[in-house]
Amino acid sequence: MNIAKFNGDSFTSLMASKLRLHNFLYHSICLAALLLLSGCHAYILDDAQQDLRSSFTAGDYERSTQLLEKFKSDDVYKGKDAVLKNLESGMVHHFAGNYDSSNVFFDKSEKQIDDAYTKSISRGLASLLVNDNTLVYDGEPYEDVYLNAFKSLNYVQLGDWEAALVETRRMAFKMEQLDIRIKGLAEAFAQKDTTGKVDWSSGEVNIQNSAFSHYLAAVLYAKTGKPDDARIEFEKLGTALQEQSRLTERETSLKELERIREPQNYNVLISAFSGQAPIKQQEDFRLWLDAEDGEGSFYVKFSIPTIHLYPSRVYSIRAKIDETYIPLHLIEEMDVVSKEVYKAKKPVIYARSLLRATVKATGSTLIASSVRKENKGLGLLVDILGIIGQEATEKADLRGWQTMPGKAWMNVIELPPGNHPIEIQYLSRTGRVLFTEHQSITVEENTALELVESIYSQ
Amino acid sequence: MKYLIYTCLLVGFLFTGCRPSNEVTRMNPGETTDLSGRWNDTDARLVSEEMISDALTNPWLNRFSRDHGQPPVVIVGNVHNESMEHIDTEVITKEMERAFVNSGSVNLVASSDERRQIREERSDQQQFASVETMKEMAKELGADFMLIGNINSIVDETVDRRTLAVFYTVNMELINVETNQKVWIGNKKIKKLIERKNYRG
Repeated sequence: MNIAKFNGDSFTSLMASKLRLHNFLYHSICLAALLLLSGCHAYILDDAQQDLRSSFTAGDYERSTQLLEKFKSDDVYKGKDAVLKNLESGMVHHFAGNYDSSNVFFDKSEKQIDDAYTKSISRGLASLLVNDNTLVYDGEPYEDVYLNAFKSLNYVQLGDWEAALVETRRMAFKMEQLDIRIKGLAEAFAQKDTTGKVDWSSGEVNIQNSAFSHYLAAVLYAKTGKPDDARIEFEKLGTALQEQSRLTERETSLKELERIREPQNYNVLISAFSGQAPIKQQEDFRLWLDAEDGEGSFYVKFSIPTIHLYPSRVYSIRAKIDETYIPLHLIEEMDVVSKEVYKAKKPVIYARSLLRATVKATGSTLIASSVRKENKGLGLLVDILGIIGQEATEKADLRGWQTMPGKAWMNVIELPPGNHPIEIQYLSRTGRVLFTEHQSITVEENTALELVESIYSQ
Repeated sequence: MKYLIYTCLLVGFLFTGCRPSNEVTRMNPGETTDLSGRWNDTDARLVSEEMISDALTNPWLNRFSRDHGQPPVVIVGNVHNESMEHIDTEVITKEMERAFVNSGSVNLVASSDERRQIREERSDQQQFASVETMKEMAKELGADFMLIGNINSIVDETVDRRTLAVFYTVNMELINVETNQKVWIGNKKIKKLIERKNYRG
């Protein structure tokens, strides 16, 4: 009797344990599938971004537009990626010559970046379990700045100089705020760190001025009959160029740009862009620790995005007009500035990745060990599932504005009334012509300022 | 513990799926609406109201009417936007034009863009309209004063971007077209403090 009772109890307990395990396994699999699916979309978006970069840098704006349409119909850009979609659309339309449409997209992205200041708690939680790709893309700080540069060019193309100046003012303001913020962030980190072992200084990060915005503003102020404002912008341009020279090997002397202060001596602004936006790549770190009792292990993987400059072959740019060569001045190395700005964000990204990876690893280890106590085989399975889950979901956020050019070059010239064919030549370090873009420009008697734009992304 | 994790997850994913639905409410155009903190219809209305009342009650108007025995002729020029936002200054100038015309104490002539269109029409009439209905050339009313102005803004933001202060100043001036004398200067200042929320659900 006793034996039978004992057997019955043990059977019931065994069944209950099995049921608990099945139940648990079922929930674990459902959860894992949910997390894997959430993590999957990021890979699709990465591929889409790569395709868009390829078509845009090849100068195929029609294909880029088609791709953006396709991404829209395939729902590649989710609501959280709206900023990205609008930045890309804005740039593609800009270089396709659809300036009004470009402004609409840039306007949207600027507002969305602003709105994204308020962070979603639910998305924050999701990012802690999946990866940073679940967060709303709020644009890199440099993207928020440079979108105004292209909006400004759009307005110049549309002949609305007042609106173009609004954009340059916004750009300058954002740059100044960014500089204050970066320095403030570094100070805040330093104050919170009680170990005193980490150097939280903003280091070389110095981006308080945008030469591009000041150059544009100086030209526009000079042309709108505001010599005093033009002079102030010109002085700021000098400071910006000086600061920028600390980051790069190239230096443009302010003396070479004196002409922009003499509005009567030019009626054409030539603006050319070379290179590409910096490329974000994923770096993975994996750690495998065996448990002391020899049962199970602690596996942790964390992925962080690293930013790399695109090695452009273009060393100089010149314009050939009526058999005369006019060199373009390197005004802003947007790619270098972008990388510099990104440096300041790194501690936050790294800390978040580490925290997320630890949460995931600890969670899966705890679950596996509790299952192992009940069933060794299943424990091993859960262990393996945990590793697969970490491998699949842990992914660096590589989202970024793919169609942003790398470097901005400019110069002003005076042309007599008439139609002029223009060749914009992109040269290598050895002086070999890598690419030539043919355009033509019509200057009329009363033309105050005509903008010629060109791009070669290699 | 695991139930806690599950519940958190579930709540998290449910929140992720939440989307606000559209709702339209008709309201009085005079009501104040501040949604984003940017320049809006309320600001334009406040500026117009202040400028109109100041311009129409100032001594320049009575003085001119008394000296010339007729109301002054005013043309509205450009109000330059020198701020950091795209502001449609025509909203303000059109309000002022409306107030000037309706007051009966100021005569208003068309702006340069409008004049261009009207001149085209008049030239067209010379060729295609009947002699009886054709309007004569060189009968335009010359303006005595021109209204010009500008909008400036100063923006200040905290390091954490949470608080933003925007200060707008709108200046308008009436200038005698013949003598360049400034007969009236109006100014309206608007200051806004925008507090952003750090988090939402």
